[in-house]
Amino acid sequence: MSAGQPPFPPQPPRPPQPPGPPAAPAKPQVKALNCPQCGAAITLRSFQQAVTVVCESCHSILDAKDPNLTVLQQFKAATNELRPMIPLGTRGKLRGTDYEVIGFQRRSIFSEGERYDWHEYLLFNPYKGFRYLSEYQGHWNDISVCKVEPTLTHSLVDHAGYLGESYRHFQTAEATTGFVLGEFPWQVRVGDAAVVMDFVKPPHLLSYEKDKNSGEVTWSVGEYLYGKEIWQAFKLQGQPPEPVGVFENQPAPSTVNLKQVWGAFALFCVGLLCVLLMSDLFSSNKEVFTASYQLASGAPKGEASFVTDIFELKGRESNVEVETEANVSNNWIYLNYALINQDSGRAWDFGREVSYYSGRDSDGNWTEGSRKDKVIVPSVPPGHYYLRIEPEGDSGHPAIGYTVSVRRDVPVFGFFGWGLLILFVPVAFLTFKAISFERSRWAESDHPILKTEND
Amino acid sequence: MLAKLYLLYGFMVLGGIGTAQYRGWSLDHINQIKNVPRSIRDNPGAYRSIYSSYHHYTGGK
Repeated sequence: MSAGQPPFPPQPPRPPQPPGPPAAPAKPQVKALNCPQCGAAITLRSFQQAVTVVCESCHSILDAKDPNLTVLQQFKAATNELRPMIPLGTRGKLRGTDYEVIGFQRRSIFSEGERYDWHEYLLFNPYKGFRYLSEYQGHWNDISVCKVEPTLTHSLVDHAGYLGESYRHFQTAEATTGFVLGEFPWQVRVGDAAVVMDFVKPPHLLSYEKDKNSGEVTWSVGEYLYGKEIWQAFKLQGQPPEPVGVFENQPAPSTVNLKQVWGAFALFCVGLLCVLLMSDLFSSNKEVFTASYQLASGAPKGEASFVTDIFELKGRESNVEVETEANVSNNWIYLNYALINQDSGRAWDFGREVSYYSGRDSDGNWTEGSRKDKVIVPSVPPGHYYLRIEPEGDSGHPAIGYTVSVRRDVPVFGFFGWGLLILFVPVAFLTFKAISFERSRWAESDHPILKTEND
Repeated sequence: MLAKLYLLYGFMVLGGIGTAQYRGWSLDHINQIKNVPRSIRDNPGAYRSIYSSYHHYTGGK
């Protein structure tokens, strides 16, 4: 785990199984009592469901089942202790159901000497019972107790199965309750410790919690929520805190199915190959002109340029390949070409160099360049053409013989290389993005995808 | 959505390559000049290629 980056807290809160909703719930009531420790007013919002209630004034944890509200524990809260972002007593409609926030707790895990906190909000609806919201660095989860017990599968990486879905083990840690407020349907205590295991299948997570004192095991299932949904549900002022990093069950921002994209890429590769084969098959690739010339040695005497015989380019508008082959050796020849349409006066002007060098040094034999050069002249209409050729050579060069060949309608294989690259870039980008996201997700788990030196 | 967009993109790339091949496009840089005088055939020196000032590589290790 890298220093400075907090690990994910085990999610979600897993109190011992709270009692289910009453069969015939009474109208929601609020019962007003007083703290036996400090006399402050105590409000019981879940009424009969509350097992413990915390005095907001003196932080005494009281037995809500006892008419005298026996003090079970008193804890000292730091003066800078966070207040709940959703105040106790706030009501809101979460996914179509009205809930009231009745409890709040801060829980922590310790890793490499550092404490990492997250917050849990207990929600209550007299007809639906309890559910929970957890918040860690701007990431929220909507959590409820599992309806059936998940199954655990032990392999290289443990998995948990729930309602036909398989969840992958993310992290095991010991969580401690550090601060409580409001009321709870279980015997809550500051200092409560539990072993927690999280399993994820974004956007869902499964959490196992085993209380260290009672040994009681609770499973809960959660779904990732965005802060704005919470803010809208409870009509909270301001903006929710910005999420930091990638959370364990945070859905990937892009919903792209990489298997589909790679499948499509493979299909396009096949398509590309088909177009390549068809191009090769249907291109006439016909030689229409060839001639050999010689560049005399030394400096040119008189005009070096000349024109070739006229040749005919037939068929539709298509490309023309001009190939130059020269018997250069440790020298070069440069040819200024102009492919000129005799009828229209339209010309395609280009220069080509043919150079070839070879030798031997401490690394052995080496060569550089080539004695052959090819160039494709694009979209040349049919007609009668000739080449104007102006050869150049180094001063003092030997006589250089060269052959010029012209072919009509040749397949351009470079297109297919570029096509492959253009098709691959988005796939590579999407894959890289998805891998980076998943790597961030799993970096703080017990199973990081790629360990760095700092992990 | 992105997968569909990629499908569209891929078909466009394939179509583009097919078109490029059919229309005889090229990846090489070639200059086109219109209305070259007919006298070039008789007097090739009257035409000057725009590449005639090219600085030649005199390579080798």
